[in-house]
Amino acid sequence: MAKHAELRPYATAWRIARRDLTLRFKGLRLLLICLFLGVGALAAIGTLTRSIERELATRGSLILGGDVQVAVWQRGLTEAELAAIRPSGSLSNGVRMAAMASAGELAAPVELKAVDANWPLYGRLTLQDGRKVGAPLRGSAWISEGAAARLGVGSGGSFAIGSQQLTVGGIIADEPDRLGEGFALGPAVIVSEDFPQAAGLIQPGAMYRTKLRIAIPLGRDPKLLVDKLKARFPDAGFDLKTRDAASPGAERFIERMGQFLVLVGLAALAIAGIGIGGGVGSWLESKRGAIATLKVLGATSADIARITLMQLLAAALAGTGLGLIAGVLVTPLLTRALSGLLPVPQGFTIEPVALLTAALYGLLVALVFTAVPLARARAFPAMALLRARISPLGRDWKHAALPIALGLSAIVALALSTAPDWLVTAGFLAGTAAMLLFLGGLGWAIRKGLARLPSPANPLLRSAIANLHRPGAQTGALVTALGFGLSAFVLLAAISSSLDANISARVPARAPDYFVMDVPKPRADAFRKAVLSVAPQAQIRMVPALRGAILGYGPPSAMIRVASLKDIPEKAWALKGERGLTYADGVPEGNTVTAGKWWPKDYAGPPLVSIDEKLAETLGLHLGDHMAISLLGVEREATIASFRRIDWDSLGFNYVLVFSPNAIADAPHNLAATIDLPAGSKPVSLLRDLARAFPSSSVIETGPMLKQARALLSQMSLAILAAASVAVLAGIAVLLGAIAAARAARTYDTVILRLLGASRSQLLMLQLGEYGLLALLLAGVSLALGTGIAWAVVVKLFTFEWLPNWPEVFGVLGGGLLMVLTFALAASLPVLRTRPSKALREL
Amino acid sequence: MTSPLPAISARNLTLTLGTVEILKGIDLDVAAGETLALLGPSGSGKSSLMAVLCGLERASGGMLNVGGEDFSGLSEDGLARARRGRIGVVLQAFHLLPTMTAQENVATPLELAGTADAWARAGDELAAVGLGHRLSHYPAQLSGGEQQRVAIARATVARPPLVFADEPTGNLDAATGAQIIDLLFARRAETGATLVMITHDEHLAQRCERVVTLADGMIASDRRG
Repeated sequence: MAKHAELRPYATAWRIARRDLTLRFKGLRLLLICLFLGVGALAAIGTLTRSIERELATRGSLILGGDVQVAVWQRGLTEAELAAIRPSGSLSNGVRMAAMASAGELAAPVELKAVDANWPLYGRLTLQDGRKVGAPLRGSAWISEGAAARLGVGSGGSFAIGSQQLTVGGIIADEPDRLGEGFALGPAVIVSEDFPQAAGLIQPGAMYRTKLRIAIPLGRDPKLLVDKLKARFPDAGFDLKTRDAASPGAERFIERMGQFLVLVGLAALAIAGIGIGGGVGSWLESKRGAIATLKVLGATSADIARITLMQLLAAALAGTGLGLIAGVLVTPLLTRALSGLLPVPQGFTIEPVALLTAALYGLLVALVFTAVPLARARAFPAMALLRARISPLGRDWKHAALPIALGLSAIVALALSTAPDWLVTAGFLAGTAAMLLFLGGLGWAIRKGLARLPSPANPLLRSAIANLHRPGAQTGALVTALGFGLSAFVLLAAISSSLDANISARVPARAPDYFVMDVPKPRADAFRKAVLSVAPQAQIRMVPALRGAILGYGPPSAMIRVASLKDIPEKAWALKGERGLTYADGVPEGNTVTAGKWWPKDYAGPPLVSIDEKLAETLGLHLGDHMAISLLGVEREATIASFRRIDWDSLGFNYVLVFSPNAIADAPHNLAATIDLPAGSKPVSLLRDLARAFPSSSVIETGPMLKQARALLSQMSLAILAAASVAVLAGIAVLLGAIAAARAARTYDTVILRLLGASRSQLLMLQLGEYGLLALLLAGVSLALGTGIAWAVVVKLFTFEWLPNWPEVFGVLGGGLLMVLTFALAASLPVLRTRPSKALREL
Repeated sequence: MTSPLPAISARNLTLTLGTVEILKGIDLDVAAGETLALLGPSGSGKSSLMAVLCGLERASGGMLNVGGEDFSGLSEDGLARARRGRIGVVLQAFHLLPTMTAQENVATPLELAGTADAWARAGDELAAVGLGHRLSHYPAQLSGGEQQRVAIARATVARPPLVFADEPTGNLDAATGAQIIDLLFARRAETGATLVMITHDEHLAQRCERVVTLADGMIASDRRG
């Protein structure tokens, strides 16, 4: 007969395990909640990132308007360049620039997009009347709803840009490559390719951008073309993009966000793991009697392990399943927060690989964190029935070691193999392990330290301290849970307030009202007069505006060529593509010379340049070094005469490179102007008059731009906070679970103390003392850990400035401590409210 | 006719927990089918001796043979296997599994031993102890007396040759206690099992054929009832 059980041990174990399980998973809810949160977070993160990747992969060409885009400032592509590109596939050429549109008395700055007949290479433009169209006919334009509203025109109406009249061919409903166009300088107006030239907008020195899109044959790698162009035209100043990084916001943000989301998921899982360990530990503690009874009835350690494993597996599968469902359900909320910023699908998406990975992570974490309590359950002696609750139970490391080692190895392998940057992930995993060890060690040190303290005379304080170090105390588990939980609170507050402060600092509250591009240099005075005649109090600042790419830098004898650099460091962003250039007689407003000397007025010596001190520091530049630039396709060199500190926070003209006039003033160029109007006065005729008097100039309104920038940063901030909140939610669940578990272990004492005459208020004070002491000790630790991690996230990962609002951080930490104390007290209320006689019967 | 092998044979049994010597050299033979009461004041080592004899605790020293099996060399799991179908235990606090019904509680030891008709036999056994109408009730829905009846059914359902009972009436009122003892002895008579019962109650002890009194971890007296 016994043989029968040995043959079907799992069937018997499941029969017994099933009897003990209810649908409500009493006692295993912390495991369930923690897995639900951890797996839910990972499922949502995985689904989101995978669907973005899928969108980029499947819609990247649509978003970019081609498989490869070659962009260049202030010029068209040369015949040699076009000849090199032409065999690669079909092409669509076009121009982007800011322009002024006017219709009757109304005028509006717009973003002009001139496209050839091949546009769009992928997809079609949808008009509000439902038509799906390509490029507009000559003399006609597709205009955005914003432009139509500003100009007061509808379909069939007419308006002017520059010297040309245009008829509105239709109002845009969906522009296929809108996301790929990036930051909009105004509402869009799409015209035919030759319009800018005909309207007199393309003049030497005018600020426009040529965009050539290429659709390559199926199956060919767009990167090959990019590499070929980089090698063939290293100094052309090309800004090259492929369909894989189609959305301009995507490039940097998706990489950071993806990495951050993965870290948040892992953090949520680590916190969930602590909750799982604690939850399962206390569940098994409550099962002590049942396990011992089963052993009395003949169950072996292996039987107990099988029974408890099956119960845990059932709860883990339920938690994991619910987490996966929640992950799928919550993804549309995240995609809504990110739409416009990244290419995200609408509605529910199911990504099997992401869901499987999340489930695997969840079950592996459950395995690792339940191994020790499970091994202890195996070792519960039958005699535990007859012994006291606090008698120590041996730790069966022998049986726990293998599943822990296997689980951890699998988690590390899974995390590293799927990480975008394995070094960051490895660092994070090591950091989490260090944090766990540190908090574990701290718990041990607190117990040992308090045990050595002389007993205070106050009996309540004495008991509170004793409760933290006596046998059976839950101090270790509480320190880990409180440490992680409170650190999560601090982390969220520090990240959130830093992001808010960054939004305020990066998007200035006060900026010039208008930027005007392409003011013809000889007409500078006429421009000034035209503005002052309408707005006499306006402040006008004008600077020469040119664009060029840095080609090389360093000592004259050993200059480094930018084209030869394998990677361009983050801080050396000025080396990427073309930059605005200017020249000046004197130090620009808001700039301070930090090294070297500024050139005298009417300087006529060798060409000189003044450089932003941060760029100089990043590139290791010295005074006297040379800098080579490409200006309208011609290479020029200048000697570095000084370094400047630039006030980037002021949204005015700030140039990394400022040349002595004799270095570049001979190149054809226009002026750029800022117009500052007294608060509240925006003469409606200003734009109209400027549009008439300066048809080739374009105006950018800063108001809508700042709004757009603020909205973009707020969206990023929201996405970051939404993701971080998951970790905090897991932290709260663990915190509350740990307190509840510790409370359950203390119920016996509370009942006995009440029996001995302790009043409710005395017991509450005892509880308050115990948790107050622990919370005080942990407040400092959590502050250090939380702000440390927040700093790394804000500064290192997102390269924002570290601007936490300390009162807010301390306030949130205080709130967290208050929550701990409130919950600790609330957890003991049911026992305190019950009559001692009744409570005694229920022990 | 040769005399049957003793159900229990203990020689110089000792039990030490930490630094405390609980059993100090116990020599005891219990014949098959015998009823024996273990009597003694609190702390004399009665429960510890029972725990060692039924394999819940491993002796620190000495030799122990139970039902022909040498318990001294067995591991905790070996002892658990040895209990299956051979030893039934009734405890003072009943120790029913609270999440299982009466029938599930009684079926569990049979299931652990791999018995095929565990469910039906559990129902029959509960009927035999007068609880045929309470099969699907949970322990919390049963009175103390009923709970102890379930515990007796659980201890005897596998027809073990050896039944241990630790203060089986300790948690019950006098009238219910008397009914439980009657039931325990009746079931033993039906199955012919050896019964070792721990009690404080001299009166109750007298119902056994043999009374062994313990004092300070040693056998103080051993007499026939």
